[in-house]
Amino acid sequence: MTHQTHSYHMVNPSPWPLTGALSALLTTSGLVMWFHHNSSFLLTLSMATNMLTMYQWWRDVVREGTFQGHHTPTVQKGLRYGMILFITSEIFFFAGFFWAFYHSSLAPTPELGGCWPPTGITPLNPLEVPLLNTSVLLASGVSITWAHHSLMEGDRKHMIQALFITILLGLYFTILQTSEYYEAPFTISDGIYGSTFFMATGFHGLHVIIGSTFLIVCFLRQLNYHFTSDHHFGFEAAAWYWHFVDVVWLFLYVSIYWWGS
Amino acid sequence: TRAQGQKVVPVPVWRVSFLVVGCCGWWVLTAKMLRNLLALRQIAQRTISTASRRQFENKVPEKQKLFQEDNGIPVHLKGGVADALLYRATMVLTVGGTAYAIYQLAMASFPKKQD
Repeated sequence: MTHQTHSYHMVNPSPWPLTGALSALLTTSGLVMWFHHNSSFLLTLSMATNMLTMYQWWRDVVREGTFQGHHTPTVQKGLRYGMILFITSEIFFFAGFFWAFYHSSLAPTPELGGCWPPTGITPLNPLEVPLLNTSVLLASGVSITWAHHSLMEGDRKHMIQALFITILLGLYFTILQTSEYYEAPFTISDGIYGSTFFMATGFHGLHVIIGSTFLIVCFLRQLNYHFTSDHHFGFEAAAWYWHFVDVVWLFLYVSIYWWGS
Repeated sequence: TRAQGQKVVPVPVWRVSFLVVGCCGWWVLTAKMLRNLLALRQIAQRTISTASRRQFENKVPEKQKLFQEDNGIPVHLKGGVADALLYRATMVLTVGGTAYAIYQLAMASFPKKQD
């Protein structure tokens, strides 16, 4: 039996990069079929194959780390770099939408009435549900920090409770925001105000859903004893992502909801 | 704001929701699992502590033994038969879907002449 003399992880050949790339092809061609040929079959297929790929790929990462012991400190360092780079790319993604918002709102055109919010738009009151949403996400930042400290101290019961509270708060935010979307007096097609509002808050909401899913996976892993008090990078990555989602909301709240009203 | 005479065409919500169906579907699935788990925990906590221990035993050592077996099976198939079935299903859907997409591309590339 051969043994490696280095601390890196040489992964087994895996089919998931291929299925992931193919599911991306199905997504793009599926969008074309949906937009231009009145068919959502390919798009549905792409969603399914994407979910299957993500589930199996991340399942394998858990197997490689928790069950096979491949995540040495060297490997973990690489995973940390990777997560930081990914979150950085997401920051740039949101920067684009904030750029669009400020471009249109700092110098409103005559067509909008030369003012922001544009003539005819009744913005949402920032002191109502949006403020509640802010407190919900800030509280979830506190509870996830509590969960992390409990985990580091080996306090299993409190870690589970705190993570559960974090997830509930995330779900509560999503429910509140969904109801705001239904009740809003303006839509995405209401000029540049509607476009910037729903693109920025919409993508943020999607990231809250992704973050909540990541947290739920961590919750299930914690229940199954995957994390130890000094090795739990999956949880740390989820916490970093959750704080990122929280910070984006704070920028959204201050820029679009508060200053933009 | 709309100019006079312009019609409002409502977009059916279900069409738009396709784009988030995947994410929401996954989320709903894990949320359902979570709800079931929590219900189990609540019931277990009312009985003696050994019962709740039965719900969440530390099975990590067993899994470590299974996945460290020196049998040359790659990690994506090492869990058992279910792995192979899920792998096969994923391949069939992705490769089949790709073939279908290329077929649709071919169809769209040669528009039928109108008589």
